[in-house]
Amino acid sequence: MIKKIIPMLLSLLASAQAFSFCGFYVAKADATLFNNKSEVILVRDGLKTVITMSNDFKGDVRDFAMVVPVPVVLKESDIRIANRSVFESLDAYSAPRLVEYYDENPCMEYKMKEEADYSMAFTTAPTSTMKSMNADFNMGVTIEAQYQIGEYDILLLSAKESTGLRDWLIMNGYKIPTTADEVLNPYIKSNMKFFVVKVNLGKLKAGNFDYLNPIQISFEHEKFMLPIRLGMANSTGSQDMIVYAFTRSGRVECTNYRTVKMPTDRKIPLFIKNEFGQFYKNVFERTWKNEGRNAVFLEYAWNVTPNWGMKCDPCVGPPPMHNELSQAGVWWLNEGSNVFFTRMHVRYEKSKFPSDLTFQVTPNNENYQARYVLTNPAWGEFDCEAGQNYLVELSERRKVEVDELFALSGKNSEKSYNYIREFDKHKKAQPKKNDIPALLWKWIKTHGPKGGAMLLLLALTIFILKRTAPAQKMAIAH
Amino acid sequence: MEQLTIRFKSFGQWLESDARHFQIIAQVIFLFYGILYLGWETYVINVFFAFAGALSIQGLFVALKLAPAHSLKSAFISSLGLSLLLKANAPILFFIAGAMAVGQKFAFRYNGKHLWNPANFSIVLLILISGNAWISPGQWGSGAILVLIISTAGMNVLSRVKRLDMALAFLLTYALAEYSRTILYLGWDHEVLFHKLSNGSVWLFALFMITDPMTSPNNRKLRILWTILIALASFYVINFHFLYAAPQFILFALTPFVPLIDKAFNGEKFFWQKQIHLIPSQHD
Repeated sequence: MIKKIIPMLLSLLASAQAFSFCGFYVAKADATLFNNKSEVILVRDGLKTVITMSNDFKGDVRDFAMVVPVPVVLKESDIRIANRSVFESLDAYSAPRLVEYYDENPCMEYKMKEEADYSMAFTTAPTSTMKSMNADFNMGVTIEAQYQIGEYDILLLSAKESTGLRDWLIMNGYKIPTTADEVLNPYIKSNMKFFVVKVNLGKLKAGNFDYLNPIQISFEHEKFMLPIRLGMANSTGSQDMIVYAFTRSGRVECTNYRTVKMPTDRKIPLFIKNEFGQFYKNVFERTWKNEGRNAVFLEYAWNVTPNWGMKCDPCVGPPPMHNELSQAGVWWLNEGSNVFFTRMHVRYEKSKFPSDLTFQVTPNNENYQARYVLTNPAWGEFDCEAGQNYLVELSERRKVEVDELFALSGKNSEKSYNYIREFDKHKKAQPKKNDIPALLWKWIKTHGPKGGAMLLLLALTIFILKRTAPAQKMAIAH
Repeated sequence: MEQLTIRFKSFGQWLESDARHFQIIAQVIFLFYGILYLGWETYVINVFFAFAGALSIQGLFVALKLAPAHSLKSAFISSLGLSLLLKANAPILFFIAGAMAVGQKFAFRYNGKHLWNPANFSIVLLILISGNAWISPGQWGSGAILVLIISTAGMNVLSRVKRLDMALAFLLTYALAEYSRTILYLGWDHEVLFHKLSNGSVWLFALFMITDPMTSPNNRKLRILWTILIALASFYVINFHFLYAAPQFILFALTPFVPLIDKAFNGEKFFWQKQIHLIPSQHD
């Protein structure tokens, strides 16, 4: 047993591969914000789907390989090379954001300033590896099509059974795990084809590419899904995936896992300003755990039709323009229809996500964005009575902000204590006010209208039941 | 029919007298669970509009003496069903849904029975016509505890309305079909099957929607056959055409045939409230 394990371990270390949903990725040595992150753009209308797969790979291009199950044999015109900048701008545009507000000093004449602070919540994506391809062997594997597009050599394969496909791939230099045949089988049985990509070294050198471009495929089929199971065959940990979805009518949601919104419009302490990336990472991790690790998280959903209204509040980057949207695969821009943009963030692992993600397009056109609020305190003197009240409210609010920090991210900061008391020095000694109506109003505000409405519903239920109860008329059958 | 006024000795006795009480309790629990625990984006205003629509129309018919007062409970259940299932862009659509759900019970009748499950009717028509309504099959997620809660509540209600056979037939047929395809044919592992079968929407559909006693056949054998048909059709449309709202549409298409079936085949007629049979005295 040990004899078998050691060579396996060595080979694992040597290739250090983690099988992700659309290919092979090498874990980066330096810490990125989200490890093993892949990005996909999905455009869907009717039966047509356009998928663009990011390819933020750094490493030896000879080690790169991508294997993606697709429902049909793609024609050459269905495959194109996309521009990497599309992902960057979509990410910048829809990422969770930080907003900054400024309080006005009630003792002075100030106009309220509203400024947006643009903070990127994510940094770069992980790398992928490639393998060079040798000669073919046929093992129940049919090469349905073969193309050379951009810097890539592309094959469309159909297979009769999974061990044949696996052996074929290994023989041709794709280092896939030996257990992959278990996962390949369902795709073969579902009549799916395999989109296999490697880099054409000659084209790469000739074209002077610094990096590998994303690949965009389009096809018509009833299926609207992402085959993440294939990517989990050999990985032990969890992987992140960001999905940018575009439709004509409204939000895209997952049909076999819960879609949950990330917390939004929450006030957080000022000292988070320079640590927003790490803060959001903690928030995501905590929310993901709280929801049972098996949900899809919504981070942004907005109508981004070009030349139509506000697209964000505030805007983190310039909104997607005509050419960016068509780069992403949106094909109906000239038809005058709307474009709705959904950003979903999934962190999946094998035990919690046994099924591939399936999606549906809904007409849900509600705008939503994940947004966190910083409020800067007012400047100047607080000698007037309104100013003193403001100071009380300020320390109350700061207490709430610190509580929110803990509730959202699960982490406390040593700056919290001083942060709450920072403005106490301006306070003058005053008798405490026991303001009952204010306390009551505060209670209602903290418990929210939801709780109150729920109580009302319960009351209505009881009322209806009681109303139709006491003197019941029973039907008598003769 | 004569009407006797009966006073109940205890709250428990009153509760037991009508199976709808338990359905209401179950669905209210689900609604609270979904909104507070699962974090649904259900806007409370939508729930109120659904209730307003359904209860106002039903109340109108009660006031016109065209329906008994206790029928408000059915309207209540329809409103809860809409709150649980229907999603729409505007609150007014919920009012329309509630009104339509109740209205169709009076507008479309055959042989003394209404043709469609009220919530199902509104959901399907709004999705088809308004373009601003949808359902979220994934809103419950999957999991053992969820299934336990739903099935416990469901079994309770169903045993009272004598429709447990339908739920079991649906779940077994669906499970068998899924097992055959997912494990035997496609070769996925058991976790995939479990995930598919523990989907909350499937269980809710099986235990609370198709089993509506007023829109399911009275004859037991027919009922089970009917359910198997729905289960197989749903399985087919979901797995081969990837339309996850299939069960709703299939039910909508098939329930109008129930009164015809009831006319052709004998079966025990269903009443929400327990019947009292007067036996003529032998000493008359």
